Amino acid sequence: MAEVLARPVVGSLRGLGRAATLVAEHAGAIGQLSWSIIVTLVRGRVAWRDIVQQMYVIGFQSLPIALVTASLAGIVTSQQGGYQFTGSVPLYVLGSVVVESMILEMGPVLTAIVLVGRVGARITAELGTMVVTEQIDAYQSLGRDSIAILVAPRVVAGIIVMPLLVGLADADGILVGMFAAKLTTGLGYESFLYGARLFWHSWDLVYSLTKALAFGLAIPLISCHMGLRTGGGAAGVGRQTTASVMFMTLTVLILDALFPPLMLQ
Amino acid sequence: MSDQGGSEPIIQYCGIHKAFDVPVLRGVDLSVGEGEMFALFGPSGTGKSVLLKTTMGLIQPDQGDVRVAGESVFYGGPKALSAIRKLAGYVFQNAALFDSLNVLDNVLMGLPEDELYALSRSEAARKAWNALELVNLDPELVFAKLPAELSGGMKKRVGIARAIVGRPRILLWDEPTTGLDPVNTAAVERLIMRLSRELETTSLIVTHDIEGGLAMCDRVAMLEGGRIRFSGSPSQFRASPDPVVQAFVDRAAAEAQLDLAGEPSGVS
Ligand SMILES: Nc1ncnc2c1ncn2[C@@H]1O[C@H](COP(=O)(O)OP(=O)(O)O)[C@@H](O)[C@H]1O
Ligand SMILES: [Mg+2]
Repeated sequence: MAEVLARPVVGSLRGLGRAATLVAEHAGAIGQLSWSIIVTLVRGRVAWRDIVQQMYVIGFQSLPIALVTASLAGIVTSQQGGYQFTGSVPLYVLGSVVVESMILEMGPVLTAIVLVGRVGARITAELGTMVVTEQIDAYQSLGRDSIAILVAPRVVAGIIVMPLLVGLADADGILVGMFAAKLTTGLGYESFLYGARLFWHSWDLVYSLTKALAFGLAIPLISCHMGLRTGGGAAGVGRQTTASVMFMTLTVLILDALFPPLMLQ
Repeated sequence: MSDQGGSEPIIQYCGIHKAFDVPVLRGVDLSVGEGEMFALFGPSGTGKSVLLKTTMGLIQPDQGDVRVAGESVFYGGPKALSAIRKLAGYVFQNAALFDSLNVLDNVLMGLPEDELYALSRSEAARKAWNALELVNLDPELVFAKLPAELSGGMKKRVGIARAIVGRPRILLWDEPTTGLDPVNTAAVERLIMRLSRELETTSLIVTHDIEGGLAMCDRVAMLEGGRIRFSGSPSQFRASPDPVVQAFVDRAAAEAQLDLAGEPSGVS
């Protein structure tokens, strides 16, 4: 009887143990990968041309979808805020609500989620395909450093480009939110900006861009790590890409949850 | 085990163990002499590719070491490893061409980085041109093409050109004729023989084509159950009393029959 009762407990403990081992293993491998990236960068083995090309793919090509997402977030925030602020709350507070929620949360997180799907999945699939078709082995057998050629440019480009993307997404969401507020609640631009300024801290912008930096590092780093661990042919590339998207999404959300206690005290 | 060739060994596998989920290699000892043509047979999934990859340090064994031209692959440090990678060319099973580079740039990747920087663009291109001609491709026709635009046989040739452009002393071939039709198989086998002779290289060839391997090579070995089951000359291999080797030779003969029967007349 006691044994039967204990079984699920032991089972879930075992599952927990396996999960912990897996997390530790990934963390270790990502740590090693980061170290190799730093070494190739310090030795000057990474070509600027490759970084610029990745900045174009990761940043410039993501701009339209990032801006559309931010615009929709701005519209929704401003309408839902306007709907709530009836009666005792003055309507100009809406300016602050839109600005703060775009900058603190929506801008960085929505842009990161868009990049997970658009860039992260692509990187994992690309590198995974190169693993299963032995192209990574080929680089090494020819004395080339696949970290310097494939991984470092993507990670560096992500770090540079993500704060720029998020900055633009923040600004775009706020502007669109301001127009939407005028259209739906009749709140004038002057009052919107007055409300925004009333609760504004410059620190919030630092907060937003620091989040962007963290996501801009995490997404290419995890997607490269997962891509390089691919095995098992075409089906393996598919499985690994799905796993990578889950891994990146969770990481973005967990990092996001860690930010307030770290930076908003 | 008659494992010692006539000439000085240039590749020596010493007690290689490697397990992934299950043990794959369980103590492989083998040596390949300088200048030899050496065929490695074995059922699929026995770890022939894994063994070949340890030669270049592409897969790290759990135990054991490989020595190439006197240098240790796994204990010699990064200098020795990069020297070994310059010394040896690897022909991958499915060519492993870089998708984003055209044929010319793929072949140029076969030149060591320092050599590539020391050469002018046109000198480097001339070397790539020669390599493409050596594998019977028309450089003019293919140099600007992307790998996706090439047929399987052409990809294989470009892969070979990339492996030989740096004039390696050792060529490692992973199933060079698998997936090719009989005509292309014969052509690639002639190519392997001619290149090994003209470039004076040692060739270690992993192959399914037992008849071809026995005909081409000075020595052959068979990997089975994670160990070298046989190593010796082709005639010793044919005459081996070992039932596992016998079964293998018989299967090769049967396959050769099938190939002959299946070959359309008029094609040679
Ligand atoms: N990178 C790897 N990760 C996990 N298993 C591998 C890897 N490479 C090879 N294996 C396994 O090792 C065994 C031998 O593979 P391989 O050397 O490719 O066989 P073959 O003799 O046909 O070339 C196979 O079972 C294969 O699944
Ligand atoms: Mg193989």
